[in-house]
Amino acid sequence: MAITKRRKKQPEYFFDYTLLFVVLFLLGFGLIMIYSTSSYEASLEFNDPAYYFRKQALSSVIGLGAMVLFAIIPYHFWERFAIPAYLISMVLIALVMTPLGRESHGARRWLYIGMSVQPAEIAKLSMILVLASLVCRMGKSIKTTKGFMTVLFVPIPVCLMVYTITDNLSSAIIIFGIAFLMLFVSSPEYKKFLLLFALVGAVASLAVYSIVQLSESGKLGFRGERILAWLDPEAYASGKGFQTLQALYAIGSGGVFGKGLGQSMQKLGFLPEAQNDMIFSIICEELGLFGAIAVILLFVLLIWRFMIVANNAPDLFGALLVVGVLGHFAIQVILNIAVVTNTLPNTGISLPFISYGGTSVLFLMVEIGLVLSVARGIRFKDAQE
Amino acid sequence: MKEKKKQIKKYKFTTSMQKKLVILFGLVLLAFIGLSARLILINRDSGEQYKKQVLEQQEYDSRTLPYKRGDIVDAKGTPIAMSEKVYNLVLDNKLILEKETYLEPTLSALFQCFDLDETEVRNYITQNPSAQYYVALKKLKYDQIAPFLELQNDKETNPDIKGVWFEEEYQRLYPYNSLACDIIGFTGKDNVGSYGLEEYYNDTLNGTNGREYGYLNDDSSLERTTKAAVDGSTIATSIDVNIQSIVEKHILKFNEEHRDEARDGAGSSNTGVIIMNPNNGEILAMASYPVFDLNDTKNLTGLLETEELETITEDAKYELLNSLWKNFCITSTFEPGSTAKPFTIAAALESGSITGNETYYCDGYLEIGGHKIHCHNRLGDGLLTVKQGIEKSCNVVLMNVGLTVGIDTFMKYASIFNFGLKTNIDLAGEARTDSLIFDPTKMVPTDLAVSSFGQGYNVTMIQQIAAFASLINGGAYYEPHIVNKVLSPDGSTVKNIQPRILKQTISDTTSELIKDFCNGVVTEGTGVTARPAGYTMGGKTGTAEKVPRGTGNYVVSFMGYVPAEDPQVLIYVVIDEPNVAAQDNARYATIMTRDIMTEVLPYLNIYQTEELTQAEIEEQNLKAEEASASISQNSVSGNEANETPENQTGANNEGETATESEEETVEGNTEETDEPEIEIDPETGYAIDPVTGILLDPLTGVPIDPTVSNLE
Repeated sequence: MAITKRRKKQPEYFFDYTLLFVVLFLLGFGLIMIYSTSSYEASLEFNDPAYYFRKQALSSVIGLGAMVLFAIIPYHFWERFAIPAYLISMVLIALVMTPLGRESHGARRWLYIGMSVQPAEIAKLSMILVLASLVCRMGKSIKTTKGFMTVLFVPIPVCLMVYTITDNLSSAIIIFGIAFLMLFVSSPEYKKFLLLFALVGAVASLAVYSIVQLSESGKLGFRGERILAWLDPEAYASGKGFQTLQALYAIGSGGVFGKGLGQSMQKLGFLPEAQNDMIFSIICEELGLFGAIAVILLFVLLIWRFMIVANNAPDLFGALLVVGVLGHFAIQVILNIAVVTNTLPNTGISLPFISYGGTSVLFLMVEIGLVLSVARGIRFKDAQE
Repeated sequence: MKEKKKQIKKYKFTTSMQKKLVILFGLVLLAFIGLSARLILINRDSGEQYKKQVLEQQEYDSRTLPYKRGDIVDAKGTPIAMSEKVYNLVLDNKLILEKETYLEPTLSALFQCFDLDETEVRNYITQNPSAQYYVALKKLKYDQIAPFLELQNDKETNPDIKGVWFEEEYQRLYPYNSLACDIIGFTGKDNVGSYGLEEYYNDTLNGTNGREYGYLNDDSSLERTTKAAVDGSTIATSIDVNIQSIVEKHILKFNEEHRDEARDGAGSSNTGVIIMNPNNGEILAMASYPVFDLNDTKNLTGLLETEELETITEDAKYELLNSLWKNFCITSTFEPGSTAKPFTIAAALESGSITGNETYYCDGYLEIGGHKIHCHNRLGDGLLTVKQGIEKSCNVVLMNVGLTVGIDTFMKYASIFNFGLKTNIDLAGEARTDSLIFDPTKMVPTDLAVSSFGQGYNVTMIQQIAAFASLINGGAYYEPHIVNKVLSPDGSTVKNIQPRILKQTISDTTSELIKDFCNGVVTEGTGVTARPAGYTMGGKTGTAEKVPRGTGNYVVSFMGYVPAEDPQVLIYVVIDEPNVAAQDNARYATIMTRDIMTEVLPYLNIYQTEELTQAEIEEQNLKAEEASASISQNSVSGNEANETPENQTGANNEGETATESEEETVEGNTEETDEPEIEIDPETGYAIDPVTGILLDPLTGVPIDPTVSNLE
């Protein structure tokens, strides 16, 4: 048996090379796609086609360093920072309102402390940490309704802050989604989740219905209009539906194998800021269905590795950390692709590792570092016995 | 340590949790499968449509790169029409409003550099946020946009100036405003030339627009290409700006002097002058009256009073403009009158009908076909040779010669001299005269008789002068032309247009005889006053009564050439309905000829060959005195002189004053030095009854009947 042989050489040490490989591949692929999608706009705007590429490459290198650091440090070291991290993330979100806050693309979501940082990204990481720690402390009481409710309500204040202060609904949804998935895994309940799921579905349907009804009266905010644009993007082709429609054009025009890397036409000013949330549509256009499904498979592979690591984690805390990371990745990838394909209403969610965004890639790499750290704790069963 | 380890072991990731995680993974996988299916469906259902959509919204927008229309230059290379690059200020509201930070810096830079209505522009931008092409200002010079370009290009300090660009185009510019307006013509929108050279050489002057465009290559990727504009060719003309301005100055002077004299309005209903080189058909100057400003072609203020301008209808206005724009020298037809007489004689000599040594007796009229056709001298000129007939412009002599020639030969020569045909001068709008001459098959002897002295058929000025050139240059009929070279935009010659001899009209011998006759006109005949001091000259006067006859409207003209023996310059002056009490006086044309030639000949390096008479020397001295007096006057009231809104230079001003004084002295000479009581008609030499103003026969003293038309 191969495993037995390897075990003899490295009896105690496990490193998830598959995971690392997938991550590095996605990171490299992301950089290529950022260069491809942004060079046109960057050369118009900054006279430097590699403007976005260089910034992202720098963030990626910093992220790699952070990943190595977090992979080396045993993850239990972070358990004691759970509560402070939770509080600090709330403070940082509040700081956006101070002069430290920075505005970009019409939304005040960034903090400038030597570099631009999005506090919502920090909040996601701290939410994983605090919930993993909380569930561990709760022990068996997680099975009670009180325990269930406690876990469910811990993310609420952060989510509300993210939504109200930074006006960032998508990050709030992601934070809550992470908590929800962690609760789903740690709680033995099924019925409650089905009920909750049905409830959310019913509320969402009702909301969409009432918005459609309201649209006749014309009293709608920009989110309301987004819903309408989602239902019929062509009718809002010059307004809210523009980006979605252009993304669909990009996807549809790609065909099976795409137009070839760098050959997108939609990135030439039609799909604004193609390197951000809508980058997946350009992947579809340039690399076709083949490329798009390959990217999806890479994410499936990544999530599968997370599952393996979590299921083999030495303890609950490590496992829950990985589950949180898994939830984070899964939610973002699914929501991003769903938005790009107009399966869900348009909301700004980036595609992990591929979309442009310094803070995002840095904290994603930290999460990967945590997972690698947990993986390192895995002991082979034979060795332990 | 021990406790902690216990704790960790206590809370393991239980099997149920593992199971749930697998379920979660399964759900995630399902979601991915669903999304992949969605991707495939989008491609399958709408792939083709979206592919088209993507290609459709690509901008193959082709930007037109304007060409530069060629210049028109005069004989010395001075541009008389040119194209200047101008810039339209275009605002792209969508881009300006893309970010809030763009609006204010852009607007403040705009208002700083351009004279724009602040509220208007601001309102336009905010009210039309999606407009991308708003022309805020037109036809700016580069100097005017340079400060803004500097601000815009300084990205360091002004990074937020957006959505402003300049559209290039060319504007036609005529540096001499109204000078040679009839010849040049003008250019409207889209480089379409109207009238004159601008219309005739429209295709030569125009180039080809360039284009910057995008297209899809074989791989359906967008490529951009620029095809540069090809500028138009420049045309070099034989027109000389200096000669042209001398001519126009004298035309203007005449028309101003006689303004409102016998009737309201300018000094003539039209005045045309052509100066031509008889040895190659090149036109040196061509002008008529009134003129218009080529840079402001629709301005009628020179013609009408302000009140009239306000009340005039659009149709009437356009009618007026059209008459203003057309070139009198090539489009207006008239009966040439006596300037046609040399042609009759030439036809007779050339066909052998006469030898030139015949004599004819004139007793004031000739009866043909039951009509008495009078000589302008109703008392009769007596016995005249052919030469005297020309000199005195005797109709009877000419009618006799004409009858000898006969209808067929006469009309054959009319067509040899190109009457009834276009001269094909390179100007737009030359009139057709084929229906305005007699049809030989329907002609009766009376028609022949009146034709022999230039009545009954119509010509254009250019026909008359082109044909006359052949009479005096040995018989070569040159196609009159203005352009002698086509130059490429970089100045190299593309095409030389050589003088074209269309035909030999008469023999050299006949030409010499005609010259001899015409020289007599100036030395002792009706054209004495046309001769510039110090030069020999030949020519022929003309006074033609206009139709309807008997209304006292005449076309007076003079065709003259210098020097008499070897003509280098040919001039034709036509004054249509001079605004004077008695119009039938060719003296208006001869005086204008002399004034023009006095200035033009030295400029053309044709030197005086004759001694000046005492009177002429006095006249010149007087002229010089007047000139210096006017200079000192000018220097005293220097400000006034400077304020006069004239385009002429100071030197021209002096010249003008000088010629005016000359004019006065001439009148003094003719009117007063002879007989104080009985005036002598300067053209015919007959005495004028001081009481009635009727010409008296020098022999009998019998007055000539003024009610019968007086055809010369």
